[in-house]
Amino acid sequence: MAEVRYENASRIYPGSEIPAVNELNLDIDDGELLVLVGPSGSGKSTALRMLAGLEFVDQGSVYIGENDVTLSPPQDRDIAMVFQNYALYPSMTVAANMGFALKQQKVPKAERMERVREAARILDLEEYLDRKPKNLSGGQRQRVAMGRAIVRKPQVFLMDEPLSNLDAKLRVQTRTELADLQARLGVTTVYVTHDQVEAMTMGHRVAVLKDGVLQQADRPRTLYSKPVNRFVAGFIGSPAMNLIDTDVTSEGVAIGTLGLTLDPSVSSALTAQDDREVTVGVRPEHLKLSTAGLPGEVTVVEELGSESFVHVTVEHRGEPLVLVVRDAGETTTTRGDIVHVDVAGPTHVFENGGARLGE
Amino acid sequence: MSGGAAAGGVVGKGGPKSFLLGVLAWVVGLVFFFPVFWMVVNGFKTEEEAAADPSLIFDPTMEQYDEVTAETTGLLGFGEAFSNSLWAVAISTFFVMLMAVPAAYALSIRPVAKWRDVLFFFISTKFLPIVAAILPLWIIARDLDLLNTRLLLIVLYTAMNLPLAIWMLRSFFSEVPRELIEAAQIDGASIRGQITSVILPIVAPGLAATALLCVIFAWNEYFLAVQLNNAGGETVPIWVTGNVSTRGNFLAKLSAASTLATLPVVLAGWIAQKRMIRGLAMGAIK
Amino acid sequence: MAATASRSEAVKKLQRREAWRRRIPLLPALLFTIVVTQVPFLFSLWYSLTEWKIVPPEPRQFVGVDNYVDLFDSRFFREAVWTSILMTVFAVLLSVILGTLIALLLDRKFFGQGFVRTLLITPFLIMPVVAGLVWKNQMYSATFGVFNWVIEGLGFDRIEFVSRWPLWSIVIVLVWQWTPFMMLIILAGLQGQSASVLEAARVDGASPRATFFQITLPHLRPYLELGVLLGSIYLIQVFDHVAVITGGGPGSTNVPYFVFQRSIGGGWQFGLASAYSIVVVVASIIIATFGLRVLSGLLEGEDPA
Repeated sequence: MAEVRYENASRIYPGSEIPAVNELNLDIDDGELLVLVGPSGSGKSTALRMLAGLEFVDQGSVYIGENDVTLSPPQDRDIAMVFQNYALYPSMTVAANMGFALKQQKVPKAERMERVREAARILDLEEYLDRKPKNLSGGQRQRVAMGRAIVRKPQVFLMDEPLSNLDAKLRVQTRTELADLQARLGVTTVYVTHDQVEAMTMGHRVAVLKDGVLQQADRPRTLYSKPVNRFVAGFIGSPAMNLIDTDVTSEGVAIGTLGLTLDPSVSSALTAQDDREVTVGVRPEHLKLSTAGLPGEVTVVEELGSESFVHVTVEHRGEPLVLVVRDAGETTTTRGDIVHVDVAGPTHVFENGGARLGE
Repeated sequence: MSGGAAAGGVVGKGGPKSFLLGVLAWVVGLVFFFPVFWMVVNGFKTEEEAAADPSLIFDPTMEQYDEVTAETTGLLGFGEAFSNSLWAVAISTFFVMLMAVPAAYALSIRPVAKWRDVLFFFISTKFLPIVAAILPLWIIARDLDLLNTRLLLIVLYTAMNLPLAIWMLRSFFSEVPRELIEAAQIDGASIRGQITSVILPIVAPGLAATALLCVIFAWNEYFLAVQLNNAGGETVPIWVTGNVSTRGNFLAKLSAASTLATLPVVLAGWIAQKRMIRGLAMGAIK
Repeated sequence: MAATASRSEAVKKLQRREAWRRRIPLLPALLFTIVVTQVPFLFSLWYSLTEWKIVPPEPRQFVGVDNYVDLFDSRFFREAVWTSILMTVFAVLLSVILGTLIALLLDRKFFGQGFVRTLLITPFLIMPVVAGLVWKNQMYSATFGVFNWVIEGLGFDRIEFVSRWPLWSIVIVLVWQWTPFMMLIILAGLQGQSASVLEAARVDGASPRATFFQITLPHLRPYLELGVLLGSIYLIQVFDHVAVITGGGPGSTNVPYFVFQRSIGGGWQFGLASAYSIVVVVASIIIATFGLRVLSGLLEGEDPA
């Protein structure tokens, strides 16, 4: 078990000008579960593979514990990895799959078997030890892949979208089990996903990447309540935050005719600069349907049972604009209704370049 | 045969068109097989019967088989030719695979920088006509005292089949999911460990198809064998042609010899045909 | 600064070692191939510049490009080249076309499908020498041949196929042997076709004919190219069939057989024969360049790290 450190680490693929991962600086504590999240092409998998030794580090360094592993081959890094498609060796039994790494380390057979059985017990795989991967269900295969990682007792677990091949229900269930297992074993884990819900529910901290650049690495709650820029604000949260481009006037900022009350730190930042256009962000749960406020027409109602999301088309700067508003589960609103939208919580303001204004 | 074709209409999608296409497939298959069938049939006839008008009504005899397998002093015997062929084919195929497996690895899974150029080089040697090399080979072999030895054929058959084997194996290796190799690397496996524990079990069908093709080409090879080995270490194809005689009828004897000569490869090919389909094309085109 | 320098040195060392680690598995095959195929070629090049007859033994004399001048004057050589071209082109084209048609016929369910496929692949497995002998003596032959028995039965005169159409007698046997090979490749291509694409075409209302020409055929293209490429590689080298069927009779002597005749086959003019083979090599390289272009098409877009 060890901490992991990326120091100005970059990966530039041959023949490409733009780095796939650009000067990444990230410290991961011992025992922490850090999630790397971002859209496809954000460099999250590349960053993970740099740590695995499967991708060359062109600039900067990568440390595991005290060791600079930047130039070490994967074999020498004492890491275990769970792949998206599990990468189980098809010709070997479950037991052989799980014991393969130990066999490479020349661990005696008896000890090997003991450790495989122990891992199988943890993962509820004991009765499948003699099966081949092709005779297992998707969920069982996923557990074997996990087992192969934990048998080794490595310094770091690397997980590359390990749940994305499971069906939705199993994914949610396994997510919890996996987080629990990680906490019990206390092994430092770097976890890659494109699913922000997975990132938010599992990560002790979440690092958001975009175009190879780290945007923000924070606890999930901070990421949600204080996104550092427009991208993170829009990426984290489902349904996404309403983001509205608007002009700054002497009265402050407004959505349509609805003036916004801003945090003092934001208003002072607004006057301090010349920029006349900003982006206002409001999460759906911080908007409400009310009797007063900005009028609009309901175009879509998404009923999820416990809550519903109402899409309201309002007029903003002379053009139609859709706002998503959270409403009660048993809403009476239907398509075609004329409603009023009001703000019922914190708002975020981002400057033209995307960076957050104020606290 | 007609019964089979009739049943084809039932199993197929039905309709007269489907039925007719089934019948057509049977007809084409039988037409293509006919020369082989005729060869086998003639091998069981007497020379007189084989020389007479074609007929399927005759008393099958093993006479020709006894005669072609009988050892005659001074002539190339059946046993000797078979053992020469067996040695040349088995050992050359073994060496082909021994060199082609690591080479294919170095052209696909962890490729050298200019893997395309190297692959082209290997294939391009197949474009060079063997006749262009036969003269110097003959001279070199003569000077090294290798003319008329099994060793010479082993070396040449290895060179002859190596490019094809590398080409096919490379395609199979490219189909091994990359993550599997990466998983093996992370699990601490060396290159040899990756090949023997992870890659080879996956590509085993392709390996078999490749080896089989090498066996077919080496077993059937005549040109090099007859040019460089016509006085020792002669192989089965040379033995077959030895049964053509200029005097008297030889058709039945030749048929029996031909049947014996082709049997091993034909049987192997029949057994492995599904793998061959995979091996020839599915592997060859990624 | 110092740290950067030592790092870049370490990286260089590592890359060198990695490059060699990648090269080593390749070396045995590469060295072996170079020694066995390229060295004789260099010898050939040298021989071709000499006048050298070894039976009866005569001293070798350097004659420069004389052999090349002679061979381009030789009507027989030009004929051999032409025969080679005809033989290869006809055999490859016919076997690809027939192989495709038969593959289409086999790529549908019918009774005894596996058995018919087994019958069809058999000719490819037959030893070329045997194929040649069987066809010559039991199919074509005017005395014993099945063909002539049928022809006579129909009331016509017996025909000496081999002496009447020497080239075609050989081409037909080649097509007989190589059609199964092409069929196997195309069959694999057909089986690799995604069923959902075909279903989509049917849902879109495409006729079977349109489906074949607009979906199946483009899908088969790389397989057809591969068939043509491999077929050409082997068929341009045909020797056994010529030796057994016509023994180099008029109009059927292709270049391999021609070179053989002029050297170990009895001519023993090694200098001249070497010049022939060098010309063949050069021609092959030109053809191969086209072939390899096809090949790079096949490898396009594939780039393992």
